[in-house]
Amino acid sequence: MTWDRRTEDRAAAIVGRYPEKRSAVMPLLYLAMAEDGYLSEDGMRRVAQLTGLSNAQVQGVASFYTMYKRDGVGEYLVSVCTSISCMLLGGDDVLDAVAAETGVADGETGEDGLFSVEHGECIGACGGAPALQVNYELIEGVTPDHGRALCRWLAENRPAVVRGDDLQERFGGRRSFDWGPVEAGGATGAVPAFGPLGTAGEGS
Amino acid sequence: MAEQPTLVTITVDGKPAQVPAGTLLIEAVKAAGVHIPHFCYHPRMKPVGMCRMCLIEVEGPRGMLLTTSCTTPVADGMAVHTESDTVKKAQEGVLEFLLLNHPLDCPVCDRGGECPLQDQTMACGPGESRMVEEKRHYPKPIPISDLVLLDRERCILCARCTRFSDEISGDPLIEFKGRGNAVEVNTFPDEPFASYFSGNTVQICPVGALTATPYRFRARPWDLEAVESTCPHCSVGCRISVQSSRNQVLRFMGVDNGPTNQGWLCDKGRFGFEYLGSPQRLAAPLIRNADGVLQEAAWSDALDLVAERLGALAAGGPDVVAGLGGARGTNEEAFAFGKFLRETLGTNNLDAQLGDGLDARLLAGITARGTIDDLERARTVLVWAPDLKEELPVLYLRVRRAATELGARLIVVHPRETGLDPVAAHTIRYRPGAGTELLRRLADGSGDLAEARRALGEGPVVAIVGRPGAGDDPRLAEAVLAFAAGLPGATLLPVTRRSNVYGAADMGLDPGLLPGRVAAPAGTGGRDAAGIIEGLIAGEVAGLVLLGADPVADYLEPARAAAALEAASFTVAIGLFLDESAAMADVVLPALGFAEVEGTVTNLEGRVQKVNRLLPGPAGARPTHEILEDIARRMGGSIGAASAEALAAEMAATAPAYAGITWEALSWGEGRRGIVAPGPAGSQPLVHAPEDHAPPPVGRNLVLHLARVLYDQGTLTQAGPSLAKLARPAAAHVHPEDATRFGIPAGATVRVTGSGGSVELPTVFDPSLVAGTVYLPLHCGASIGAGLEITMEAVS
Repeated sequence: MTWDRRTEDRAAAIVGRYPEKRSAVMPLLYLAMAEDGYLSEDGMRRVAQLTGLSNAQVQGVASFYTMYKRDGVGEYLVSVCTSISCMLLGGDDVLDAVAAETGVADGETGEDGLFSVEHGECIGACGGAPALQVNYELIEGVTPDHGRALCRWLAENRPAVVRGDDLQERFGGRRSFDWGPVEAGGATGAVPAFGPLGTAGEGS
Repeated sequence: MAEQPTLVTITVDGKPAQVPAGTLLIEAVKAAGVHIPHFCYHPRMKPVGMCRMCLIEVEGPRGMLLTTSCTTPVADGMAVHTESDTVKKAQEGVLEFLLLNHPLDCPVCDRGGECPLQDQTMACGPGESRMVEEKRHYPKPIPISDLVLLDRERCILCARCTRFSDEISGDPLIEFKGRGNAVEVNTFPDEPFASYFSGNTVQICPVGALTATPYRFRARPWDLEAVESTCPHCSVGCRISVQSSRNQVLRFMGVDNGPTNQGWLCDKGRFGFEYLGSPQRLAAPLIRNADGVLQEAAWSDALDLVAERLGALAAGGPDVVAGLGGARGTNEEAFAFGKFLRETLGTNNLDAQLGDGLDARLLAGITARGTIDDLERARTVLVWAPDLKEELPVLYLRVRRAATELGARLIVVHPRETGLDPVAAHTIRYRPGAGTELLRRLADGSGDLAEARRALGEGPVVAIVGRPGAGDDPRLAEAVLAFAAGLPGATLLPVTRRSNVYGAADMGLDPGLLPGRVAAPAGTGGRDAAGIIEGLIAGEVAGLVLLGADPVADYLEPARAAAALEAASFTVAIGLFLDESAAMADVVLPALGFAEVEGTVTNLEGRVQKVNRLLPGPAGARPTHEILEDIARRMGGSIGAASAEALAAEMAATAPAYAGITWEALSWGEGRRGIVAPGPAGSQPLVHAPEDHAPPPVGRNLVLHLARVLYDQGTLTQAGPSLAKLARPAAAHVHPEDATRFGIPAGATVRVTGSGGSVELPTVFDPSLVAGTVYLPLHCGASIGAGLEITMEAVS
């Protein structure tokens, strides 16, 4: 597998930002994930080459973080929070509803590749519990019915870009606090933490 | 030898103790005589404090604090408690946690009986577990390499193996995966743990999670007999424990007594014992019968025949017989071989090497000779030698440690990339044949070599110098050593591979040397290996005695060696196997080998170490010195070899550099670390001034870089099933520019023709070569000779 020049240039720029090459391993993994839709073995091999780590060491990092997907995921990844606040306010019911509506069990991907469903750990939205994410875009105050409706809507409309504020307006409930002005970008926008570094999906 | 450490006073369990400053508490408390149980801590690796087993209480301003003794440095006035109720409770708790998932399959576990987890559970653990839940289950052992199996259920996640492969051997092919609830040690998919040092992880694993295929299910530890010895595979001379059961060697374990291997072994050393029990071992003398077939014979008949034929030939003059070999056995055997050749046969035609190493006078007589431990203090290390990782792997570990852990600046000069390159500050490449020119430029510090030259001006410098490939002239190494000797604080390590080649040189197995690092008197003629082989072909030498040498396979021009043995009128081969040379001999005599004879060996530092006997060996084989003595007696002489110990005593009494180095001295206390024999007798170095050696320019012709790899087609490697399968198929390494020049597509087969024949091999593109160079691994199939100039063409 080879990356195209644009991806390689971006990778080189990421590596160049750190005094030690190996420090670039996490943003590079995001880049590799954006390239293949998940972290492929080839992607990890390329990251190892770029950072001077061994393949096993890169795998060690990649396998620690659940948000590095090492298997392909569906078009829409629905992550339902089941940590304590969400759990107390019915997060598990939301998860069951989402699973029932999509026909995809927790931790799996549907055969048609449309949905992946997973339970997630705390996503920092306890004030708006129960919350879920679609492609890591946050929606708060989701009831089981809202969850089902959300999944139906996604399946019918197949939006190319998922935007949290949009979904919040359609299917969300009470929010934890005012998240400020709507930002463009959506699911394929920069991963917030690594935005300044120019990683996943930047400029696409 | 070691400097006296500063001492600080601490209180251990209420008793004051003086312990070395700057150490970790676990070591300090050990120095005070108290053992702290631990799993993850290993004295040769950085502490991580992962297993929590070494918790002890330290008194502090806010009362007692439980702390990991492996991560806390000692301080003056510290008061620690290792046996308080809190400590006991902590130890019980840690062990209870570790045993949550650890299976109790000790009765079928290879580690059972020598398992730190088992032992410490017995000593410090709770009597029973409160846990009734099901334990973690994984498929029972999965192979993570050809040699190592991983049982993840048993793993207690101490990270010793992953830290070893990262910190010490530098090939982190194993790592934690799925950190969290699903954590396990594993490899990357389809990338096995194919490290040259993988066996060390099995030795340091504190449970039975990592096991090695050659030893698995072969014995229980308490049934093993063991003896300390010295690894017979290369000239580093690692200290090992040889362990056997029912007269079969079952494993080697590294012994950490410091100066050579620091406890580590390479896999070739660790698993390279299987040849000793090979069914191919010679077990009876063989005599070539009237039909030209080697046939089993009685010892008396074979010895009579050898004495009669050698005696008749030797009567024709001192030049008519010759001896090759003696670099693989003990010093005592080499000493006996030298006496047999010089005194009984009266010849000075003898050589322990086969023209593939360095001048024996250099090996025996170098001044400013260093030790491996000099690397611990070196500021700059120059390696202009074979790829140490392939030829002297544990020396590679020591150089790597100097360059990483100890911060020395490493300069590697080699025709292509070597295992040390990733940790080198400067890597310098050259075409074989252009080394002299490169040395001149390096000495001048001209052009891009200025930085490396500046580093060489910062001592102490350790120079490890050998012959990078067979195509390099040995005189180049002498010139490099002469240059290095002038560097500040320089100590020199001339390196060549065969295990006891230094001992053989010290025992005078060279026309120019007498035992004990003494130059042969001027005017003493004698042929070296090349002279003997050419002499045999020319008919000037007629009789040949081979001692553990296989010139037909090992000589750099094998065709010449085969012609020589063909031309010899009488050849006797003494050895362990019917190798290619023995198969051409008139008489073959089976000898006892490693772990079957007692004696001493000398490593590349000139360190004399003991090898010990543990096994009887094949019933029909005999010790070399006895064989030689019996032949000598039949010829009316004697080499005084009543026993190997008698020979050792004679050496200690008569060979100047070995004065006082007796078996007794090497067997106890500090002597177990070996005794470095002092330099050459007298102050004059034995080495002649390096000749100004200027090879003819080769222009745009292709040159050959022929160098060894660790696992090759050598007899001892191939005679053991574990190592035999590790030999990789040979390939011709071609620089991409040359591939374009000669129109060779990727992966194509090429015919390479050299001084001694041609061979067809698949190609691998190797941009680490200097263009105009082709690299072939030595002893990995057909040989094309070692001549520098070669031709190459694509084969359709």
